[in-house]
Amino acid sequence: MFGIKKEEREADTYLKLSGKVILLYLAIVLFCILVIAPLVIVFSSSLRHVANQSSPLLLFREFTVESYITAFKNMNYPMELLNSLITTGGSVLVVVVIATMAAYPIGRIKSKLARFLYVFFISGLVIPSQMVIVPVAQTFSRLRIPNTRFTPMLMFITCSLPFSVFLFTGFMKGIPVEIEEAAYIDGSSIFRRYSVIVFPLLKPAIISTVITQGLWIWNDYFYPMVFISKKAQYSLPVGMLQFLGDKENPAQWNVLFAACVLCALPLIIIFLLLQKQFVNGIAAGAVKG
Amino acid sequence: MKKSKNISLVFNNKMYLFLIPSMLFFLILWVYPVLQLFYYSFTNFNGINYNYDFVGLKNYVKIFENGTLVNSVGNTLIYTVIVVVFSNVLGLAVAMALNAKIFLKGFFRTCAYFPALFSAIVVGFIWSYVYMPGSGMIANLIEVFGGQGSAFNPLGNFHTALFAIAIVEIWKSFGTTMIIYLAGLQTVDESLLEAGRIDGCSEWQVMRFIKLPLISSTVTINVILNVIAGLKAFDYSFIMTNGGPGKSTKTLMFQIYEIAFTDQKMGRASAFSVVSFIVIIAITAIMLFVMNKREVEL
Repeated sequence: MFGIKKEEREADTYLKLSGKVILLYLAIVLFCILVIAPLVIVFSSSLRHVANQSSPLLLFREFTVESYITAFKNMNYPMELLNSLITTGGSVLVVVVIATMAAYPIGRIKSKLARFLYVFFISGLVIPSQMVIVPVAQTFSRLRIPNTRFTPMLMFITCSLPFSVFLFTGFMKGIPVEIEEAAYIDGSSIFRRYSVIVFPLLKPAIISTVITQGLWIWNDYFYPMVFISKKAQYSLPVGMLQFLGDKENPAQWNVLFAACVLCALPLIIIFLLLQKQFVNGIAAGAVKG
Repeated sequence: MKKSKNISLVFNNKMYLFLIPSMLFFLILWVYPVLQLFYYSFTNFNGINYNYDFVGLKNYVKIFENGTLVNSVGNTLIYTVIVVVFSNVLGLAVAMALNAKIFLKGFFRTCAYFPALFSAIVVGFIWSYVYMPGSGMIANLIEVFGGQGSAFNPLGNFHTALFAIAIVEIWKSFGTTMIIYLAGLQTVDESLLEAGRIDGCSEWQVMRFIKLPLISSTVTINVILNVIAGLKAFDYSFIMTNGGPGKSTKTLMFQIYEIAFTDQKMGRASAFSVVSFIVIIAITAIMLFVMNKREVEL
């Protein structure tokens, strides 16, 4: 709502229409159409009858939820949605707590050890999942960790640590040490200082972490694919794998596209509701960190 | 008493206790597995049966000899360069255009960022349709304009497949790059640009010699994030092409996955991982060094 009001106030300061500006508009509109075109076609096809095989370029000639009903049933949608919500929510929660805790000494103590730990955590960023997956699976079996819907969470948390610690340490430097020194004199313990002073002041970085890490965790299919074998434990993206054979079969496209929309829908809704926090969170993560 | 110089009363070493939970995760599930890779790379371990033998450097010799390593390093580097260059050029150009005072810019920004929301697997499906010969989106468009739609098959052609999946990655990633550039551009002080214009700079000169140097740290961040993502390339080779045609879209990570899971040769996959690890670390280190130097020069 605020966004719209601001746009209105700016209305008188838009660039004056000249030849150059019209070209700019044309370029932007064309570019956006190019980017969005596949998504529009996918959406339009998903609203067709399952058997409709006319060219997908004939947009929005038919409106039915038949394909959605078929996809919904094939996907076991409510269960998958629930699994996605649990794993993403749980992982993000744990990451926020333990990464802020880790960043506290790293950001505050001035020593070679703290500096080393900082680099140590960040270097985890460059290691790809595919590389460590087999040793990790063995570690799990040695520790007798069973394959449940919660198993991928352990990896989601671990993979999110490097970026989160990096971000929180960066933000920690912006929080004045004087506040904590005052609290120290007043007799607060370290734990109290962390939970009452530092944690609340890290709020912008926490929002940024929730969004950037939540986004990849929600969309990740690799860890669930490796660690989960029971269909009832699938999350939304890994549930999409069952459609892998349909992608080259035009007769299945309408259902496949409906499934794609269903899979992306929760995130689209959250994005449209929290657009501002989303954009700021992503930018803050990269610029201030 | 020299030792106590750096120890603050407020921020004492008891704080290191806060590291325990994240350290447990990090050491057990990230560092230890990487170290295990070095160990397994000298064995003929198959991933299941623990009765394996030490085979010395055989795994390393094999991956160099049969050309899989050179091929996948090459593919990964080409893929990374394309993604980094186009994602950044597009991201920066669109960010500059949408940073101007134009009508509906919020809507345009949303459009440009939208693809970044989708899971790689959904993106893979959507683009499999876009590229499908005969009945896909591009093929249909070619036919509308009177061409031969069935002849268009970018994923089936040895020479174009890698570029085709790189385009998919760019489509998904440039929105994030753009948002970061927009945030960088908004920190640029308008009065500096004004000063440049008064001194007679052209719009191009203002952009090249004032704006770009001012956002050089944003450029660095974007390039690093894109390089890391590029070197990790796996999704679209896995979902869209399965490494083919031939070996043309086998990236490092896809190759490792294939050797470990399809061929069940964990020892060889570990050797492959060790070499990839060194390649990735080397590239990242060189890049950080070069970018830091350039940032000062700009």
